[in-house]
Amino acid sequence: MILPLALIGLVSLPVIVAFYMLRLRRRDMPVGSTFLWQQLIRDVEANAPWQRLRFSWLLLVQLLIALIVVLAAARPFTATRSDLAANVVLIVDTSASMATRTADEDRLALARERAAEVVGRLPEGGRVTVVAAADTANVLVSETDDRDAALEAIDGLTPTQLPGDLTDAFALSSALAARDSDSTIVVVTDAAGDRLPDVGVGAPVIVERVGATDANQSIAALSALRRSGGAQLDLFVAVANPSEAEAVRRLEVYADGSLVDARELTIPAGQRTEALITTVPAGAATVEARLAGSDALAADDRAFAIVPAEERTRALLVGGGNAYLENALALLPRLELYAVGAAGYEDALEEAAADGTPYGLFVFDGVVPDEAPPGAAIYIDPGEDGDFGTVGARLDGPAIDRTDPEEPLLRFVDLTTVHIGRARTIELADGMRAIVATPRAAPLVAAGERDGRRLAVIGFDLGESDLPLQVAFPLLMSNIVDFLLPASEGILPSSMPLGQSFSASVDPRVERVSVVTTGADGSGTAVEIGVVGGQLTLPGADSVGVREVRAISDDPDLGGRILGRTAVNLFSADESDVAPGDPLRISDMGRVPEGDDGPGQPTRAEWWWPLALAALLLLAVEWLLFHRPTRRTLARAFGRRPLPLGGRAR
Amino acid sequence: MTTTERAPFFDETFLRRLEQLELASRRMTAGRMKGERRSVRRGQSVEFADYRNYAAGDDLRQLDWNAYARLEKLFVKLFVEEEDVTVHILVDASRSMDYGEPNKLDAARRAAAALGYLGLASMDRVSVAFLGDGQASGLRPMRGKRRAMELFRFLSQPRTERLTGLASAARAYAGRMRGSGPLLLISDLMDPGYLDALRDLAGTRSQLSVLHLLAPDEIEPEIPPDARLVDNETGHSVEVSGDDDLVERYRARLAEWQAEISAFVNKRGGAYVQVPSDLDLADLLFDVLRRRRVVE
Repeated sequence: MILPLALIGLVSLPVIVAFYMLRLRRRDMPVGSTFLWQQLIRDVEANAPWQRLRFSWLLLVQLLIALIVVLAAARPFTATRSDLAANVVLIVDTSASMATRTADEDRLALARERAAEVVGRLPEGGRVTVVAAADTANVLVSETDDRDAALEAIDGLTPTQLPGDLTDAFALSSALAARDSDSTIVVVTDAAGDRLPDVGVGAPVIVERVGATDANQSIAALSALRRSGGAQLDLFVAVANPSEAEAVRRLEVYADGSLVDARELTIPAGQRTEALITTVPAGAATVEARLAGSDALAADDRAFAIVPAEERTRALLVGGGNAYLENALALLPRLELYAVGAAGYEDALEEAAADGTPYGLFVFDGVVPDEAPPGAAIYIDPGEDGDFGTVGARLDGPAIDRTDPEEPLLRFVDLTTVHIGRARTIELADGMRAIVATPRAAPLVAAGERDGRRLAVIGFDLGESDLPLQVAFPLLMSNIVDFLLPASEGILPSSMPLGQSFSASVDPRVERVSVVTTGADGSGTAVEIGVVGGQLTLPGADSVGVREVRAISDDPDLGGRILGRTAVNLFSADESDVAPGDPLRISDMGRVPEGDDGPGQPTRAEWWWPLALAALLLLAVEWLLFHRPTRRTLARAFGRRPLPLGGRAR
Repeated sequence: MTTTERAPFFDETFLRRLEQLELASRRMTAGRMKGERRSVRRGQSVEFADYRNYAAGDDLRQLDWNAYARLEKLFVKLFVEEEDVTVHILVDASRSMDYGEPNKLDAARRAAAALGYLGLASMDRVSVAFLGDGQASGLRPMRGKRRAMELFRFLSQPRTERLTGLASAARAYAGRMRGSGPLLLISDLMDPGYLDALRDLAGTRSQLSVLHLLAPDEIEPEIPPDARLVDNETGHSVEVSGDDDLVERYRARLAEWQAEISAFVNKRGGAYVQVPSDLDLADLLFDVLRRRRVVE
């Protein structure tokens, strides 16, 4: 098919012929004598404006060039179907799992290759936006038709240690797709559990899945607990093996850089193995767990923990006396546990107020006080309404729905083998959110903040569940207590996920801080960040390690003071499970192309460029014809050159 | 020729090589002075030629007394007398010659210088003239190698002639020609009167050799597709379309023309030599002209 209007250009063909017939202004060329030439051209009528058209290779070539140029201008094309639209948003996953690297596989290199192929498949005149997506989206080139620029951007992609989140990338793509309805979103990813937005995008989504291996183990959890009065710390480590083969890994534990424990762990396929290590000296400030050897993903083979300072909160357990609960709470080094029956609650409150030693935490087991307690509270199996919400009928044998892996309250908590006999239905008050729920969204465990107080609810009797018998219970209680009584190392929480930014108030005299990140490889980087109005905003860390914030100040009391420390870990089950995931999960985010034309977008394969190339070649031929060398000039250039008669003889 | 004076055309070695050659004279000529050439005159030399009967007044020293003793008749011995000849070298100096790469006129000057030096070295009298504007302007005949510098200086003078007028120039020269011997015309003959000129020169008693000098691009022309050829001499122009066909026709016409001239000259006992201006001078003298017996 062609654009017929351009064929008007064919008029140029007779014009060229006419030029050949016209006696054109000729180029003057001096000759010694026209004596012989005059005898040759006696038959030519010198003054006629037109001459007889004679065959000329030049004419033929020029006509061909004109014809080809006209055809090229007519933009001939064949209608084809491309799976890509004219506007392509190319999202390349650079989350931690894309750093997967084995002897046979370099996942990001594969992604670069696949992305380059996508650029190569762009329809004529197609535009591409290249987006690198880790926990946020980073636009590398925007709506360009310069394929070289796009390929250069793709070449420069590097993997991160950040968890994958395509929310930003899809939001950006939606905005672009809204501007241009002829858009396609291509996601180059391993589809390994990246977080997706709730709302789909208004353009088709094509997933180019890369990766094959699943041979990875990770440190899934690391938590250091300080036992009261003990000479050692309790270090809890969980090593996950999401691969399909059992793995034996050597776990090494370092306290402030010194090896304090090493053991072989056997981790069954698809499961995790937990270890409680009690050999870490209580004086350690930083603990590192390391999986020796190598696997597909290096970022999750090391994890850090900041040992919490020795600081204790008075906690009051009110209720019938559940031994498991008491033990779990008593184990928490942060708590100084006191227990009373339901009747003694009021007296205990008064006594504490009188002594000036208030309780920071209240645990109500099967009891709901008439008035909200003066501090954080945990309600277990509440029989009445409270500030947490309204209690309704009982549920028999409630199942536990899939939990959010990113939920900090469920960190290291595996509830898959927990069974509950009965539970109470609770309608949560504002500010409360369900942490664990039934498939019908009835909350089983909830937490939140009401009137500046943090609350948690466990909606079932611990005695009617096997939860207290499992490792998950002390961890859940520890997490809940950590939530209710936020642990901190100075201004920073003791642990932060990768990529999460953080704001905190600091001493107003501090104008700048130095943030030193000591990475898993021992290398340290330092950046200086300004403090505005006593408010410090730390950007999210992009690699695993320990971050330390130091004050920079001329005041000798302040300068160099450590304001806070935090351990930054990947701890992402999705990223550590490097096995390529289901691409449909991502492609389903897109709009299904309309019409029944089969897959793909109608597009044109234009043919003007080979025509233009042919015209260029013919132009070269024309030049050669015009300046064609004679035998003499060839002999002069290549042959033996005789000594001229006019030259000096030797 | 002294080595202290630098020759404008050639170096010493080349001049020595030139001295091995001499201009051929197929006709026996009658010269004025004894030279190094055989003359049709019988005279005093060592080469015996014939006898004839004694006549009163004959030099008694020439009588063959041995023959008289045997035959009792008086015979006079005749010897071949070696006489000088005059070498005429005419150089076409029209504007059409001032063309080409290498320049035809320059090439003609050099060829004339070499041939003139041959003549001087052979103790022949050498007369050199430029033909142009219908006139022949030249030096008085000279003899001996000592005059070589004068010859070279004359030949290297810049020329201002515009038109050939070849026929009238040749006629002018033929009319005042003194002495006979080889007559060498170096010209491109690009003149309508070229046949008249050749006829006049061949009509003298001299032996005519035509060195037909053409520039390489006159032999193998490179003409752009649309060109106006402007005559270097007359300023007249000719419009041509330089296609293969035209070039072929030109080549054929040139060959025909050269054959025509060659036939004309040969018929009159002369020699015709085609000389491209890029031909090496040594090749011209020691090969081409020697084969054509212009020199020997």
